[in-house]
Amino acid sequence: MKSDEPSLARLMAMAQRGDQLAYRTLLIECRRWLKQYFGTRIAPNHLDDLVQETLLALHHKLATYDPARPFLPWLAAIARYRWVDHLRRVYRAEETELEEELIGRSDEPAIAARISLDRLFEQLPSAQAQAIELVKIEGLSVAEASHACGQSESLIKVNIHRGLKKLTAMIEKA
Amino acid sequence: MYRDTNALIDELTAGLEPVRPLRLSSGLRFALAGLAVTLAVVALLFGIRGDVLAGRLDPVFLLSAGLFFVLGLAASVTVIVMSRPQVGRDHGGWRWAAAMTALLPLSGIITWMVRGPDAVSAATVGQGLECAVIGSMLGLLTFAVLTFWLRRGAPTSPERAGLLTGVAAGSFGIFALSLHCPFSDVVHVGLWHSLAVVVSAGLGRLVLPRLIRW
Repeated sequence: MKSDEPSLARLMAMAQRGDQLAYRTLLIECRRWLKQYFGTRIAPNHLDDLVQETLLALHHKLATYDPARPFLPWLAAIARYRWVDHLRRVYRAEETELEEELIGRSDEPAIAARISLDRLFEQLPSAQAQAIELVKIEGLSVAEASHACGQSESLIKVNIHRGLKKLTAMIEKA
Repeated sequence: MYRDTNALIDELTAGLEPVRPLRLSSGLRFALAGLAVTLAVVALLFGIRGDVLAGRLDPVFLLSAGLFFVLGLAASVTVIVMSRPQVGRDHGGWRWAAAMTALLPLSGIITWMVRGPDAVSAATVGQGLECAVIGSMLGLLTFAVLTFWLRRGAPTSPERAGLLTGVAAGSFGIFALSLHCPFSDVVHVGLWHSLAVVVSAGLGRLVLPRLIRW
């Protein structure tokens, strides 16, 4: 089926009433949508983990969706929250090449642009965005990131801390 | 994590139970019920101030109690709305209520300066601290109710949710206490009653985020 906003909202409302078939269809569509949504903003080897974490969050927070409101902005808020949380927790990634074919496509470009991770990320000052991009997404060490972008190591750490704090504050607003 | 997302989807589908969506009206009823219990506690434990019972309402009492009630209501509504995430929401409306209520401490400080340092004696400080402490404690029920609601919900900014829960709790707590507190002086109300909200907001910001992360 086509995962347009009204269909997803309808499936979600049915899932809230306990319809398992609708829920299964919704989860499959959400998995596809989330893979596109996270796109290049996550290291490829962490994409499946993040999608699964977000599906679990969706499951536990089903009651927080208001059937009178659009579905995708709700799902995007859940996804952004899990994404920022994931950035906090990660890692030095083993692979840093991003899968270009996962760059998001959407049938509703205006909505997609409004709720995208890029829009959230663009709210950050460039130094903070760069520090997060290099260390938390591409998986460089702080020293490597410092060498790559010219910021001192302590500045990289400060910018990551401030950037993640700012992202958390803007999850729904940006 | 699961090795296979299909297995996760199978498990989640099998575990689906019908849920009742969180409603703003339900959350608000819940919060106001907490306030009603708090008011009953004040009436039973401390008693209602005599001029209120006699129907002689002091203007400073009316204004300050009204402002704290409106701030508590605005913060409570924002907290309840925050429990249902949605990209595109601002959650900033409560700031206007906070700005209006901030006129109370501002007026208190200006009046204190005009009257001179003697306007705040050791005795009035003691009375003020008592109001600030009891007012903060009376907000605990509102604090618990909103925390429960946030744990059911999905707040995407636990820090802001914590701060606002504290503002709501402190405002409702001091609103309830103002029905007992016999002082209608703008210095007392502006400084010490406002302090209850500030203390409660600080506690909410510090304590709550770890309780409501998801």
